[in-house]
Order: sequence, then C-alpha cells, then structure tokens
Amino acid sequence: MKGRYEDENLKWIALLILLVLLVPFLLQGMTYSYRYYLYVLNIAGIYMILTVGLDLLSGYTGQVSLGHAGFLAIGAYSSAIFVDQAGIPFGLSLILASLITGVFGLMIGFPALRISGMYLGLTTMGFGFIVRRIIIALRDWTEGSAGLAVSKPQLFGFTFNNDLHNYYLIYTFVILAVILARRIVKSKLGRAFQAIRDSGHAAQAAGINLSKYKLISFFISAIFAGLAGALFAHTMRFISTDHFDILLSIYFIIMVLVGGTSSIYGAVLGTLFIVSLDYLIVPQFKDWLSTFMSLEAGDIQSLIFGLIMFLFIIFQPTGLYGMWIKMRIYWKLFPFNPKKRFT
Amino acid sequence: MKKTALFIIFAAFIWTGCEKPSPGVSDSEIVIGNIQDLSGPMKELGMVVPHGSNLYFNYINENGGVHGRKVKMLIEDHQYNPQKSVAAAKKLIDQSQVFCLYNVIGTSPVEAIRPILDEYQIPLIAPATQSGSMSDRTRKAWKMIFHTDTGYDKQARILVEYALGENPDAKIGVIYQDDDYGENVLKGIGEAEKKHGIEIQREGFQRGATDFSGQVMNLLKGGCTHVIIGGVVKEPIIVMKTAAAMNFAPQFLGISPTMDHRVAIAAGPAGEGFIAANFAQLWNSDVEGAVLYRELFAKSGSPEQLMGMYNFYGFITAMVMVEGLERAGKNLTRKNLIRGMENIKNWNGMGVFPSISYGPRDRAGSESVVLVQAKEGKQKLISEWMD
Repeated sequence: MKGRYEDENLKWIALLILLVLLVPFLLQGMTYSYRYYLYVLNIAGIYMILTVGLDLLSGYTGQVSLGHAGFLAIGAYSSAIFVDQAGIPFGLSLILASLITGVFGLMIGFPALRISGMYLGLTTMGFGFIVRRIIIALRDWTEGSAGLAVSKPQLFGFTFNNDLHNYYLIYTFVILAVILARRIVKSKLGRAFQAIRDSGHAAQAAGINLSKYKLISFFISAIFAGLAGALFAHTMRFISTDHFDILLSIYFIIMVLVGGTSSIYGAVLGTLFIVSLDYLIVPQFKDWLSTFMSLEAGDIQSLIFGLIMFLFIIFQPTGLYGMWIKMRIYWKLFPFNPKKRFT
Repeated sequence: MKKTALFIIFAAFIWTGCEKPSPGVSDSEIVIGNIQDLSGPMKELGMVVPHGSNLYFNYINENGGVHGRKVKMLIEDHQYNPQKSVAAAKKLIDQSQVFCLYNVIGTSPVEAIRPILDEYQIPLIAPATQSGSMSDRTRKAWKMIFHTDTGYDKQARILVEYALGENPDAKIGVIYQDDDYGENVLKGIGEAEKKHGIEIQREGFQRGATDFSGQVMNLLKGGCTHVIIGGVVKEPIIVMKTAAAMNFAPQFLGISPTMDHRVAIAAGPAGEGFIAANFAQLWNSDVEGAVLYRELFAKSGSPEQLMGMYNFYGFITAMVMVEGLERAGKNLTRKNLIRGMENIKNWNGMGVFPSISYGPRDRAGSESVVLVQAKEGKQKLISEWMD
C-alpha cells in the first residue's frame, strides 16, 4: 500500500534546514548590522509559528479569527508569570503556556459552533479586547498596563543571551511547527478540517462530528499561538498590552492571505514577506523617498504598506505559495505551456 | 626577564584601561538617535518634538558645536509600538552607529528597549515620557536612563497636596487613562492617600474614549470638590464640558499632558479656572530659555502652528542633552557622557527648569512642578516651584 507521504518530495527540506542554520553567518558576512536583521528574522519566526496555527484554523477549517493577538498575549503573559513568579523552568512553561492558551482556544471554539463568517470574526475580535482588559485587571501579576519585564530563556542550563541564540531557539520551533502542521494537514484530522471548510453539511453527512473537529481546530491553533507567545515573551524580554493590539490580529490574517491560504509553506512565506516589508523594505523606501521630497505626513509608511497589500490581493489572490506553484508548473511544461493557464 | 614581564603586564593594563572612542563620534560630528512616533497614535507630536530639538541643536552647531563637534540627530519611527521601538533602537545602534539615544517617546516603548540599553551599555538621555518608572532604580539598565521630567506619580501627589492645602476637607476624585500613564498616576494617588490618610475616588477610562458622562456622574455622586484629570488634550476638555452640563463645578486639576494651551481655548467657560501642573516654565514665559526659544523659532521661519508646549519640550530636552555632552569633555565616550550627566548639579537650563541634579544613584531630573491656571482662555502662572 502506498504510504501517506510518498508523493511528497522531502529531499529539499534538509537543504532548507541547512539554509536556516546558515543564515546568521551569511548575514554576518554581508553586513555589520546583522544583529538588527536577526532581530527582524526572530520576530518573523515567532509570527510564523502563530500563522501556521492560524492557517490550520482559517485556511483549512475555514473559521475566521481576529483574536489571535489575544492568544499570543495569553501565551506570553502566562509563560512570563510561570517562569518569573512561580519559578517554573522555561522548558516546562513553554508546554504549560501553550496548553493554557489551548484551553482558551477551546472556550472561543464553543461560540464558533453556532456562528460563522463575519460574526465569528467579530466574536474573536471581542475576545482580543477582553484579553487586554483582563491583563490590565490582573494587576498583581501582570503589572497592569505598565508592562512586564521578562527573564531570558533558559533550557538545560543554557541561557539564551543574544539575538543569535534566540534565532536558533525560535527557528527550531518554527521547523517543528511546520513539520507538525504538515502532518496534521495530511492526516484524518486535516481531511476532516478541509471537509468542514468546503461544506459543513456535506461533512456532517459523511459522518464528521462538526463540533468536535471545530473545537479541535481552535484548540490546536491556540496551542501554536501560545507557543509563539511564550517564545515572544522570553526573547523580546518585555511585554505590555501595547504589543498585542487588534491591528496585530489583522496583520496575522494578512500574512496568511498573502502567503496563500490552505498552505503551510504559504503561511511561512507570507509572514516572512509581510514582516520584512514592514520592518525593512518600506522604511528603506521611505528613507529613499525622503531624500527627494520633504515628508510632512509620517503616514507614508502605512500608505505604501496598504497599497502593496491591495495590489497583492487583487492580482495574486492565491498568494505567494500559489505563485510558486504556478512558476513550477510553468517550467515543468516549458516550452509547451498552454497560454491560457498563465494569464 | 622579570622586568620585561612586569612591563608587559603594565602595558596590558594601560591598553585595556584606554577607552576606545565610542561609535557615532568623529572629530567633527556627534550622531545621536531619536525614536519618535511618526505614524502611530501620537503622530501629532512626532514631527513637533524633534523640530524643537533641532532648533536648539542647530543653534549650538552654528555657535561652534560641542567641543568643536556638531550634533546630528537621526530620527526613527516606532508607531508607539514597543516592538518596533526595539527594532528602531537596534537599527540606530547597529546600522547607523549612533553615539547615544535621546528623547525616545512613550513609556512602553522605552521600557521595551531597556534590555538593549543594558546589552550595549548605551545611554538614553531625556526619554520623552513623564512616567516615574523611568528613574526607578530597581529596573534593568536604570544607570543608562537620565530622566528629566517630574514623574506623573509625583505630579499627582503634588496636586493632591495642593487641593488639601486649599481645603483640608477636600473630597478628591481622579479620572485616569487606563494605560501605562494612568498606572503611574494611580501610584502617586496611592502614595498620597497613605501619607494623608484620605480616600480618593478613582474613575478609569480607556485610551481614546470620548464619552465621560458615567465617570463624571460617579464623581458628582461621590461629592467631589476637586477632580484630578489624568488625560491628554481632548479628555480634560470633554470632562469639563460634561461636568458643566451636569451643573457640577468642582475645581479641576490636570497632570502635565493636559497643560497644552488648546485646553483652555477649547473648553471655553467650562474650563475657566482649570489648573494644570507642569515640570518646566511655559514656552511663552519671560525666562531666558523661553525667550531664546521664541527668538530662534522666529529666525528659523518655521510654520507658526508648530510653536507651543510640545515643540518647546523638544527644545528644552535638547538643552539637557547638550549640557551632558559639554560636561562629558573632549574625550567623548559613553562612559564619559554618563559621568558628565552625573555631574549636573543645581542646573536650571536658563531658568526653564527647577534646579536639576543627577548623581551616581540619582536619575530623576526635575522633581517639582509649577501650576498654571486658565483664565479667560489664557494660561497664567499661579505658583512657584512646588515639590
């Protein structure tokens, strides 16, 4: 019998992992401000873990969530409190924080059984606001809205001191998260998710327990977000309610959309693209632009950002991953491409 | 043999003892980094504050600079996002190789870069926030941050004491913004309660709120005679107008961000008698620093609407920065800048500040306020320095 993963070409994954390991050294050789680039890559890595989880929920199961910044916050705050106030080791707190966030995911999953689409989006958005209020209310542990300083991550007696250490820590989890998500997608669970997305009624008729699988989807997605949050807290070393804005939740959705929904690699690519756009490309462009004219409005950054998003969604709705697939097919068939397919 | 060994050890000592010149300093230039909010919720200040700083830096540069070096300020944008603030700080330090940071705006953006200040041992002069946590010595990298402004907590305590001085039986209430700013105001309120054995009514609102009728109603029910407003510009105006509509007329007092002259104008008759605290003299007062400011502003030919409290704020914090650089001496290193700042004693920046002193274990600059009262749409100074 044919194995489940046989039609997948896995050879280049080893290459990709090698590249991930080598990136810091390449950066170090290329630029003296490599620590800044590493920091941006670290942010991207943390968000990748979250967006991979979000893609499982939104892309595969078809449940919109505008509350993922809330999940990120729960993961971050619970891990910070576990490690710094309860004295739980970082390794254990990673697991605990993820599980706690997962439980919150379940709680949000319940209303999702009855509502869908726009309404679910609004509900999850409300959840994001509630989390913020709860963090402020639990002043004794979270120091309210003043923000919380967090200790460095420590695993097996090793302290992760700088951006380079953090890079390896974060990207180990990114690779694990991607592998795990790919496995989930190809499993019975993943097929059930996709069946629910395509048609709830059909899925139910085929014997899929809708409520069970929707809850599982929320649970898994929140676990990914909680893991990202715990890593976020300890590698950024300061968290506050200002970090987990509603805007961030929207950014996550955009990352998944730009990367291409229903594709794990797409979520990774989209996150990398949006974060580098936000931190590297647009500011650079703005600096370049300001040499020609005086920029009275600082808002030019949001303007450029919005424009790129806009063009992307109109002209490339399948996202970055879709682009890659098209390119691959194009070269496979070259020069006998049916013209219609690629216009 | 023994002699050569001794000599080598001695030479090694000398070599390690020599401080290498810090990045960002050349024979002709000092590059400093400023992180502002150019496209976030406080973008109105993002252009105004650094403009004021540049007024003073340009003035210094035209008069020969600091020990022959010209001050150059680079500005990055953090959109009031702590995470972007960290990225901006890394970019300034690693990529632009700045000598020190100056005037980073916002409490949480500054708190977020503490680990970086610690890692690179880079000083931050005059963070643009009045949170008392800036000069808190229990926090990481406290040595690197030189805070100029009087903390919100101290201001709140001074205002409570002013109210009690006016009327020993005053019933005081506070309306605070439910964020890092309000958090610090509440800290001061708590301290004042303990010190004077009174109870103060607290009413919170969310940042960005435009309706305060619930809070004002509660204060009315509580029978408050004095109400402290911990808002920015829009909040005190709406609060006072709401109270006037309810026929509720306590004495309103405001923390320094409410000191903006637009409050007195926009609140109209409802804001008559509104008292606000400030940690520096007014930009339109007669002290030497304010006169110089208006003179330089007129000479620069900048648009009139930039002029005002926040522009002046940039100007006076630039004075602190330059004073520190002056006192650091010709051999400019980050360590020397810290030493230079610590040497500032009883300095009042051309009469703008109350006397400011720093020390090896003192990072709080100004610790007093003056009170300003709105009378017929104009602000009048009604007190000396109070602490």
